[in-house]
Amino acid sequence: MRFLGAQDGKFVFRLAKPEQQLLMAMLKLYPCIPPAHHQLTKSGKPRGDDPNQRLLDEALFEQRQENKKLIQAFVNDSERIVETEKGFRMILSATDLEWLLQVLNDVRVGNWVLLGSPEDGAPGVDVNEKTAPHIWALEVSGHFQIRLLEALRAGQTT
Amino acid sequence: MAETAEPQVIPDIEREEETRPKSGGEPGFLVIVWNDPVNFMDYVTHVFQVVFGWARKKAEFHMMQVHNQGKSVVARESMEKAEHYVHQLQKYSLHATMERDA
Repeated sequence: MRFLGAQDGKFVFRLAKPEQQLLMAMLKLYPCIPPAHHQLTKSGKPRGDDPNQRLLDEALFEQRQENKKLIQAFVNDSERIVETEKGFRMILSATDLEWLLQVLNDVRVGNWVLLGSPEDGAPGVDVNEKTAPHIWALEVSGHFQIRLLEALRAGQTT
Repeated sequence: MAETAEPQVIPDIEREEETRPKSGGEPGFLVIVWNDPVNFMDYVTHVFQVVFGWARKKAEFHMMQVHNQGKSVVARESMEKAEHYVHQLQKYSLHATMERDA
Protein backbone atom coordinates (compact mmCIF):
# COMPACT_ATOMS: atom_id res chain seq x y z
CA MET A 1 0.00 0.00 0.00
CA ARG A 2 1.44 3.33 -1.02
CA PHE A 3 0.28 6.80 -0.02
CA LEU A 4 -0.08 8.87 -3.19
CA GLY A 5 -1.00 12.17 -1.58
CA ALA A 6 -3.74 14.27 -0.01
CA GLN A 7 -6.21 16.06 -2.27
CA ASP A 8 -9.17 18.18 -1.19
CA GLY A 9 -9.04 16.73 2.31
CA LYS A 10 -8.92 13.15 1.00
CA PHE A 11 -6.05 10.71 1.48
CA VAL A 12 -5.33 8.66 -1.63
CA PHE A 13 -3.57 5.28 -1.53
CA ARG A 14 -2.62 2.74 -4.15
CA LEU A 15 -2.98 -0.93 -3.29
CA ALA A 16 -1.87 -3.96 -5.26
CA LYS A 17 -4.56 -6.60 -5.60
CA PRO A 18 -3.07 -8.90 -2.92
CA GLU A 19 -2.87 -5.91 -0.56
CA GLN A 20 -6.52 -5.09 -1.09
CA GLN A 21 -7.38 -8.72 -0.31
CA LEU A 22 -5.25 -8.57 2.84
CA LEU A 23 -6.91 -5.36 3.97
CA MET A 24 -10.36 -6.89 3.47
CA ALA A 25 -9.23 -9.97 5.40
CA MET A 26 -8.14 -7.76 8.30
CA LEU A 27 -11.47 -5.94 8.36
CA LYS A 28 -13.38 -9.23 8.39
CA LEU A 29 -11.50 -10.23 11.57
CA TYR A 30 -12.91 -7.28 13.52
CA PRO A 31 -13.60 -7.25 16.46
CA CYS A 32 -10.67 -9.13 18.01
CA ILE A 33 -10.24 -7.60 21.47
CA PRO A 34 -12.11 -9.75 24.02
CA PRO A 35 -14.88 -7.67 25.70
CA ALA A 36 -13.44 -8.35 29.16
CA HIS A 37 -10.04 -6.91 28.20
CA HIS A 38 -10.86 -3.28 28.91
CA GLN A 39 -10.94 -2.34 32.59
CA LEU A 40 -11.96 1.03 33.96
CA THR A 41 -9.61 0.70 36.95
CA LYS A 42 -6.74 -1.50 38.07
CA SER A 43 -8.38 -2.10 41.45
CA GLY A 44 -9.71 -5.50 40.42
CA LYS A 45 -13.27 -4.83 41.57
CA PRO A 46 -15.58 -7.63 40.29
CA ARG A 47 -16.80 -6.60 36.88
CA GLY A 48 -20.54 -6.99 37.49
CA ASP A 49 -20.42 -5.02 40.76
CA ASP A 50 -19.25 -1.79 39.21
CA PRO A 51 -21.95 0.25 37.43
CA ASN A 52 -19.31 2.46 35.79
CA GLN A 53 -17.56 -0.60 34.38
CA ARG A 54 -20.92 -1.81 33.04
CA LEU A 55 -21.46 1.55 31.34
CA LEU A 56 -18.02 1.34 29.74
CA ASP A 57 -18.70 -2.22 28.57
CA GLU A 58 -22.02 -1.14 27.05
CA ALA A 59 -20.44 1.82 25.29
CA LEU A 60 -17.69 -0.37 23.84
CA PHE A 61 -20.25 -2.99 22.77
CA GLU A 62 -22.27 -0.33 20.92
CA GLN A 63 -19.11 0.95 19.29
CA ARG A 64 -18.21 -2.53 18.07
CA GLN A 65 -21.70 -3.00 16.60
CA GLU A 66 -21.46 0.35 14.83
CA ASN A 67 -17.98 -0.46 13.51
CA LYS A 68 -19.21 -3.77 12.10
CA LYS A 69 -21.87 -1.89 10.12
CA LEU A 70 -19.31 0.65 8.94
CA ILE A 71 -16.96 -2.12 7.81
CA GLN A 72 -19.74 -3.69 5.78
CA ALA A 73 -20.44 -0.33 4.14
CA PHE A 74 -16.73 0.32 3.59
CA VAL A 75 -15.93 -2.95 1.83
CA ASN A 76 -18.90 -2.47 -0.53
CA ASP A 77 -18.20 1.19 -1.28
CA SER A 78 -16.98 1.44 -4.86
CA GLU A 79 -16.23 5.15 -4.42
CA ARG A 80 -13.75 4.66 -1.60
CA ILE A 81 -12.06 1.57 -3.03
CA VAL A 82 -11.83 1.89 -6.79
CA GLU A 83 -10.46 -0.90 -8.95
CA THR A 84 -7.87 0.24 -11.49
CA GLU A 85 -5.78 -1.53 -14.13
CA LYS A 86 -2.92 -2.07 -11.71
CA GLY A 87 -4.86 -2.79 -8.54
CA PHE A 88 -6.96 -0.51 -6.36
CA ARG A 89 -7.11 3.12 -5.39
CA MET A 90 -8.38 3.79 -1.87
CA ILE A 91 -9.72 7.28 -1.16
CA LEU A 92 -10.24 8.12 2.50
CA SER A 93 -11.56 11.20 4.24
CA ALA A 94 -9.79 12.19 7.47
CA THR A 95 -12.71 10.61 9.36
CA ASP A 96 -12.40 7.37 7.37
CA LEU A 97 -8.68 7.24 8.05
CA GLU A 98 -9.17 7.79 11.77
CA TRP A 99 -11.81 5.07 11.90
CA LEU A 100 -9.71 2.62 9.87
CA LEU A 101 -6.78 3.15 12.24
CA GLN A 102 -9.01 2.31 15.21
CA VAL A 103 -10.38 -0.82 13.57
CA LEU A 104 -6.95 -2.08 12.49
CA ASN A 105 -5.56 -1.43 15.95
CA ASP A 106 -8.34 -3.51 17.45
CA VAL A 107 -7.24 -6.36 15.19
CA ARG A 108 -3.58 -5.85 16.14
CA VAL A 109 -4.10 -5.52 19.90
CA GLY A 110 -6.80 -8.21 19.92
CA ASN A 111 -4.51 -10.77 18.33
CA TRP A 112 -1.76 -9.85 20.75
CA VAL A 113 -4.21 -10.49 23.62
CA LEU A 114 -5.22 -13.80 22.00
CA LEU A 115 -1.53 -14.76 21.95
CA GLY A 116 -1.51 -14.33 25.74
CA SER A 117 -0.30 -10.69 25.80
CA PRO A 118 3.40 -11.62 25.41
CA GLU A 119 5.65 -8.98 26.95
CA ASP A 120 8.02 -8.99 23.98
CA GLY A 121 5.21 -8.77 21.43
CA ALA A 122 4.98 -11.20 18.52
CA PRO A 123 8.78 -11.78 18.13
CA GLY A 124 8.84 -13.61 21.47
CA VAL A 125 6.15 -16.12 20.49
CA ASP A 126 6.79 -19.64 19.19
CA VAL A 127 5.23 -20.04 15.77
CA ASN A 128 2.93 -23.03 15.53
CA GLU A 129 -0.50 -23.89 14.12
CA LYS A 130 -2.24 -22.18 17.01
CA THR A 131 -0.23 -18.97 17.15
CA ALA A 132 0.51 -18.42 13.43
CA PRO A 133 -2.90 -16.93 12.50
CA HIS A 134 -2.67 -14.44 15.37
CA ILE A 135 0.93 -13.46 14.57
CA TRP A 136 -0.05 -13.04 10.93
CA ALA A 137 -3.04 -10.81 11.77
CA LEU A 138 -0.98 -8.77 14.25
CA GLU A 139 1.76 -8.11 11.70
CA VAL A 140 -0.48 -7.49 8.68
CA SER A 141 -2.79 -5.08 10.53
CA GLY A 142 0.33 -3.33 11.84
CA HIS A 143 1.66 -2.96 8.30
CA PHE A 144 -1.49 -1.12 7.22
CA GLN A 145 -1.48 1.00 10.36
CA ILE A 146 2.06 2.17 9.67
CA ARG A 147 1.07 3.23 6.15
CA LEU A 148 -1.93 5.17 7.49
CA LEU A 149 0.17 6.85 10.18
CA GLU A 150 2.77 7.84 7.57
CA ALA A 151 0.01 9.41 5.51
CA LEU A 152 -1.29 11.31 8.53
CA ARG A 153 2.18 12.65 9.27
CA ALA A 154 2.67 13.65 5.65
CA GLY A 155 -0.70 15.39 5.74
CA GLN A 156 0.30 17.32 8.88
CA THR A 157 3.55 18.57 7.38
CA THR A 158 2.14 19.68 4.04
CA MET B 1 5.32 0.02 22.86
CA ALA B 2 6.25 -1.11 19.39
CA GLU B 3 8.70 1.32 17.85
CA THR B 4 8.03 3.16 14.63
CA ALA B 5 10.05 6.33 15.02
CA GLU B 6 12.24 8.09 17.54
CA PRO B 7 10.61 11.42 18.32
CA GLN B 8 12.30 14.44 19.76
CA VAL B 9 11.30 14.83 23.41
CA ILE B 10 10.96 18.09 25.23
CA PRO B 11 10.23 18.80 28.90
CA ASP B 12 6.53 19.05 29.56
CA ILE B 13 6.62 22.35 31.40
CA GLU B 14 2.92 23.11 31.08
CA ARG B 15 1.72 19.65 32.01
CA GLU B 16 0.41 20.46 35.50
CA GLU B 17 -1.70 23.37 34.33
CA GLU B 18 -2.97 21.71 31.20
CA THR B 19 -4.11 18.52 32.90
CA ARG B 20 -6.38 20.38 35.30
CA PRO B 21 -10.07 20.28 34.41
CA LYS B 22 -11.56 23.13 32.47
CA SER B 23 -15.10 22.39 33.63
CA GLY B 24 -16.77 21.79 36.99
CA GLY B 25 -16.27 18.89 39.41
CA GLU B 26 -13.45 17.93 41.75
CA PRO B 27 -10.28 16.89 39.93
CA GLY B 28 -10.04 13.81 42.10
CA PHE B 29 -9.27 11.20 39.46
CA LEU B 30 -6.18 10.41 37.45
CA VAL B 31 -6.33 9.04 33.92
CA ILE B 32 -3.36 6.73 33.40
CA VAL B 33 -2.07 5.20 30.18
CA TRP B 34 0.01 2.03 30.61
CA ASN B 35 2.76 0.64 28.44
CA ASP B 36 2.33 -2.41 26.25
CA PRO B 37 4.54 -3.87 23.52
CA VAL B 38 1.92 -3.79 20.80
CA ASN B 39 0.68 -0.24 20.24
CA PHE B 40 2.97 1.70 17.90
CA MET B 41 4.67 4.78 19.33
CA ASP B 42 3.39 6.92 16.47
CA TYR B 43 -0.11 5.59 17.02
CA VAL B 44 -0.09 6.44 20.73
CA THR B 45 1.17 9.94 19.92
CA HIS B 46 -1.59 10.35 17.37
CA VAL B 47 -4.28 9.16 19.80
CA PHE B 48 -3.11 11.64 22.46
CA GLN B 49 -3.32 14.43 19.90
CA VAL B 50 -6.83 13.46 18.89
CA VAL B 51 -8.28 12.72 22.34
CA PHE B 52 -6.69 15.61 24.27
CA GLY B 53 -6.12 18.06 21.44
CA TRP B 54 -2.44 18.29 22.35
CA ALA B 55 0.33 19.58 20.12
CA ARG B 56 2.55 16.82 18.73
CA LYS B 57 5.48 17.58 21.05
CA LYS B 58 3.37 17.31 24.18
CA ALA B 59 1.76 14.11 22.88
CA GLU B 60 5.24 12.70 22.18
CA PHE B 61 6.40 13.59 25.67
CA HIS B 62 3.59 11.57 27.28
CA MET B 63 4.05 8.74 24.78
CA MET B 64 7.77 8.53 25.74
CA GLN B 65 6.82 8.61 29.42
CA VAL B 66 4.57 5.60 28.85
CA HIS B 67 7.33 3.88 26.87
CA ASN B 68 10.17 4.56 29.31
CA GLN B 69 8.43 4.63 32.70
CA GLY B 70 5.64 2.15 32.04
CA LYS B 71 2.83 4.66 32.47
CA SER B 72 1.88 8.30 32.18
CA VAL B 73 -0.75 10.34 33.99
CA VAL B 74 -2.44 12.09 31.11
CA ALA B 75 -5.21 13.91 32.98
CA ARG B 76 -6.48 14.90 36.43
CA GLU B 77 -10.22 15.24 36.20
CA SER B 78 -13.60 14.85 37.82
CA MET B 79 -14.89 11.27 37.85
CA GLU B 80 -17.23 11.88 34.93
CA LYS B 81 -14.58 13.49 32.76
CA ALA B 82 -12.00 10.85 33.68
CA GLU B 83 -14.43 8.11 32.62
CA HIS B 84 -14.98 9.93 29.36
CA TYR B 85 -11.25 10.04 28.64
CA VAL B 86 -10.73 6.39 29.59
CA HIS B 87 -13.52 5.45 27.22
CA GLN B 88 -12.04 7.54 24.42
CA LEU B 89 -8.58 6.01 24.93
CA GLN B 90 -9.97 2.48 25.09
CA LYS B 91 -11.90 3.10 21.87
CA TYR B 92 -8.45 3.37 20.33
CA SER B 93 -7.41 0.16 22.15
CA LEU B 94 -4.91 1.87 24.43
CA HIS B 95 -4.44 0.44 27.92
CA ALA B 96 -5.97 3.24 29.98
CA THR B 97 -7.45 3.24 33.47
CA MET B 98 -8.58 5.78 36.05
CA GLU B 99 -7.58 5.89 39.70
CA ARG B 100 -8.52 8.11 42.60
CA ASP B 101 -5.89 10.79 43.15
CA ALA B 102 -4.32 9.98 46.53
